[in-house]
Amino acid sequence: MDVLIVMCVGVLVGNRIFPRKAKGINEKVQLICTLLLIFSMGVTLGGRPNFLSELASLGLDSLLYCLIPTALSVAIVYLLSKKFLQEPEDRPKGEEP
Amino acid sequence: MVLFALAALGLGIGYGLWGPDWGLVDWLAANSDYILYLLMFSVGISVGMHHGLWNKLKQYHIKILVVPAGIVVGSMLGGILCGLLTGHPPNESAAAACGLGWYSLAGATLGKLAGAQMGSITFLSNLMREIFSFFSIAWLSKHLNAYSCIAAAGATSEDTTLPMMIRYTNDEAVVFSVMNGVICSALVPVLISFCYRIL
Repeated sequence: MDVLIVMCVGVLVGNRIFPRKAKGINEKVQLICTLLLIFSMGVTLGGRPNFLSELASLGLDSLLYCLIPTALSVAIVYLLSKKFLQEPEDRPKGEEP
Repeated sequence: MVLFALAALGLGIGYGLWGPDWGLVDWLAANSDYILYLLMFSVGISVGMHHGLWNKLKQYHIKILVVPAGIVVGSMLGGILCGLLTGHPPNESAAAACGLGWYSLAGATLGKLAGAQMGSITFLSNLMREIFSFFSIAWLSKHLNAYSCIAAAGATSEDTTLPMMIRYTNDEAVVFSVMNGVICSALVPVLISFCYRIL
């Protein structure tokens, strides 16, 4: 919930006072934060005791429990979105900013 | 971007496993919430600069629940199917899949309810879901649609996988993604308990 509050404050700032010419800087901040977050996620994972042994012993079952629910979620949401939702617009899909 | 992200993840895991204790890196890993807050603030600015977005989202009304509902149904069915394939009871397997990518909470919760082995499978599978969805968003946005990216991400669509959503979809989908993440995150503890006790 706190993440949502921070984002709402950002929305207000972006809507009211943030200068348009600083848009590029804002995008660079997003990129740097993204890479730092991924790096720190890796540090947390690698630092877990027994991370490698857990991965080796239960890896196959876990992979199955990852792939099948994810694939079914994607398939169902894709079908539902085709029936009930419009494709979000404003940038061609798949294109990087 | 995907290569940079993979490199960052690999470096992070390598440091976590074998790295020396560098104060700055340890501080960074321990305080990654602040980086997430900065990222969310920055994303908020991007969304706020996009005038007319909220009016567009209001048009969706109750339909905004279509994505989380599809994610929950797909994950639950997928979990039951995994149970049939691996020989685990359907209540435990559905509960494991209903972590929706929130590996820390789901792993710990199901570990207490169903034992260490199921807890470990839940932890690893949801961790894999987070990583898999993170790196599949680029492909999904190109070949399916933005909602499919959110579906793969599940409960992580409001935080960890959000950066990829920002890069490969658009502002409207990012707002959808955050809302979906909030709804799914609120549902995870309820779903795990429901599946384990009722199914």
